Amino acid sequence: MRAHWLAGIVFVTAVAAAPSVTAHHSFSAEFDANKPLKLKGKLTEVKWVNPHSWIYIEVAGKDGKPEKWAWETAGINNLYRQGWKKTDLVLGTVLVIDGFQARSGARVANASTITLENGKRLFAGSPAPSGGQK
Amino acid sequence: MIGGGHPSPAARCPHSTMVPSVYRHLARTVAAIVVLAAGVTACSRAPAATGASIPRTADGKPNLQGIWQVRNRASYDLEGHVASRGMLAGTTVVQGGAIPYQPWAAEKRIANAASRQTADPVAGCHLPGVPRIMYMDFPFQIFQTPEHIAMTFEWSLVHRRIAMNGAPADGIDFWMGDSRGRWDGDTLVVDVTHHNDKTWFDMAGNFHSEALQLVERYTLMDADTINYEVTVTDPKVFTRPWTMAMRFHRVTEEPRLLEYQCHSEDEEASGAFERDPRTWYPGPSVAVTLPPQWKDEAPATPWKAPAPRGTIKRLPDGKPDLQGFFLSDAGGANYGLGKHERDFLTPEGRGVIVDPPDGLLPLQEWAKAETVARNTPERGYDDPTAHCFVPGVPRSMYVPGYMQILQPPGYVVTLHERMAWRIVPLDGRAHLPDGMRLWQGDSTGRWEGDTLVIETTNLNGKAWLNEVGEIVSHAERVVERLTPLDADTIQYEATVRDPLVYTRPWTIAFPIKRQKDEMLEVACLEGNDDLQHLKEIRDQARAKKRRGR
Repeated sequence: MRAHWLAGIVFVTAVAAAPSVTAHHSFSAEFDANKPLKLKGKLTEVKWVNPHSWIYIEVAGKDGKPEKWAWETAGINNLYRQGWKKTDLVLGTVLVIDGFQARSGARVANASTITLENGKRLFAGSPAPSGGQK
Repeated sequence: MIGGGHPSPAARCPHSTMVPSVYRHLARTVAAIVVLAAGVTACSRAPAATGASIPRTADGKPNLQGIWQVRNRASYDLEGHVASRGMLAGTTVVQGGAIPYQPWAAEKRIANAASRQTADPVAGCHLPGVPRIMYMDFPFQIFQTPEHIAMTFEWSLVHRRIAMNGAPADGIDFWMGDSRGRWDGDTLVVDVTHHNDKTWFDMAGNFHSEALQLVERYTLMDADTINYEVTVTDPKVFTRPWTMAMRFHRVTEEPRLLEYQCHSEDEEASGAFERDPRTWYPGPSVAVTLPPQWKDEAPATPWKAPAPRGTIKRLPDGKPDLQGFFLSDAGGANYGLGKHERDFLTPEGRGVIVDPPDGLLPLQEWAKAETVARNTPERGYDDPTAHCFVPGVPRSMYVPGYMQILQPPGYVVTLHERMAWRIVPLDGRAHLPDGMRLWQGDSTGRWEGDTLVIETTNLNGKAWLNEVGEIVSHAERVVERLTPLDADTIQYEATVRDPLVYTRPWTIAFPIKRQKDEMLEVACLEGNDDLQHLKEIRDQARAKKRRGR
């Protein structure tokens, strides 16, 4: 098991100011404001799809075994319009992602920001133009 | 997929090359090749319109506008095939009879066919892709302007947008591809590129890779017939380019497209999407008693057209030109129509209710309680847009996402990025009979000065107004007003009358703003992992309630 590079799960204590994210469903229904989450792990899969893209990372669980976590971001159209490119995310690189875990308790979370190995931070949600809604 | 009941023969040309798939191996014999070659010769003639008899647009192009449908069995299997359970027999529409697969791909096609009940993307109501959407046995409508040709499909309210200009977005692929059109004489030629590798050509497992490139040719043969040919190039899957040909026939039996939303029908049948007896249309045989709370009072200040603040673009007939790509600046209406603070991941809203003057929805007591009940995590699953169903009216106009407005002769049409359309005829026709209820309702439009007025009835009461569960029922009727303020801004207003839910009419208003970039495609259902998560939350809450009893 190639677990030596894995960082542990870090539950952040402060509720980060989450960016405005538009959805086709209620994010507040799916995710839990009381479960802010910051994880570091190896990127294993990216689903560049609508209505939301999904980023999968492998992190070290409490018993040292790798856990697969799914992070939801804006859909590919929004990411594309924000200037994201598929090449921005390279499989096998280590990401730090923060956001909120699903209410169901599953290893699913909504991403606020994604920090790449080179320190570049990508905003995972939709832009919030004036008027409050895109 | 629903099979067709049209026994009429398909285009004559493809018939001449019929080779039932059970005999396909015979094509390798010399005798069969001779038969096929005769077919190829018959089909290789370029279709020619019959001359002056075809309708033309104001700019002299063949006028493809209208409702069209195939009368063939291509959606079951492009190649000739005999009937089997759930499959109607049909002759090949492929020139030469058979699709020229590479050996590995021929094997994969057989495996696809064997598992088609589950593996066919359309069995899961996923977007059919192009060209498959064109010959599924459902009507579709073509709308034509000099810059854009729009196609709206009855099947799942899918649309195609054929731009006669511009270039595809780079580095992004689409279920329905990117379509760019041009006129070659009297033939509309469309390059369809940027496909993904997830769609099939038919129910029989005929498939392609993401390297697929299509050239479609639409030729109006007479007023009621379009010859449709598609040349398919995919060097990863086929040994050479190949062509299919068929005809579209004008549909005159139905004056408008109705709706067959594949995934809502599936989910209603399976129980995954549950009926709300208080809001859904109960059927024409059930008498609906309107509650006494309703007072159809006029707004406090009578409606007045907003004054323009800049130059308004106009069409040749002098009517305002509202066409283009737009985003609504709807102030968070999709998260609550009234003014509201940000609540965790639900964005704030500035409030778009302009009548009543207090800015609050005039809900009846039961509806107030129901709206509160819906805005809970366990009811997040019940929002129809979480299922990727179309948003209804007026929500279609403020659900986040681009929309395109088109003004082909006689219509105003809106295409929505999350695969929905609205068709607004301007010919003064009557609404559908009351018992015909639709997700997007039945809209008719007219111009009052520079304001486009749209009246929408026949709504089915399944839609929510937004993610926080604000409520409408099948009694809802909507009057929308779109007034251009300048070349890039349209003022939008909608007055909703719903005597089952509210005590009086109410009106929302916000600007719709032109965007420089094109509308893309949101294939919602196809990547909708959220619905399962929301279902888990709902099921956990239901189990907890059961334990608590």
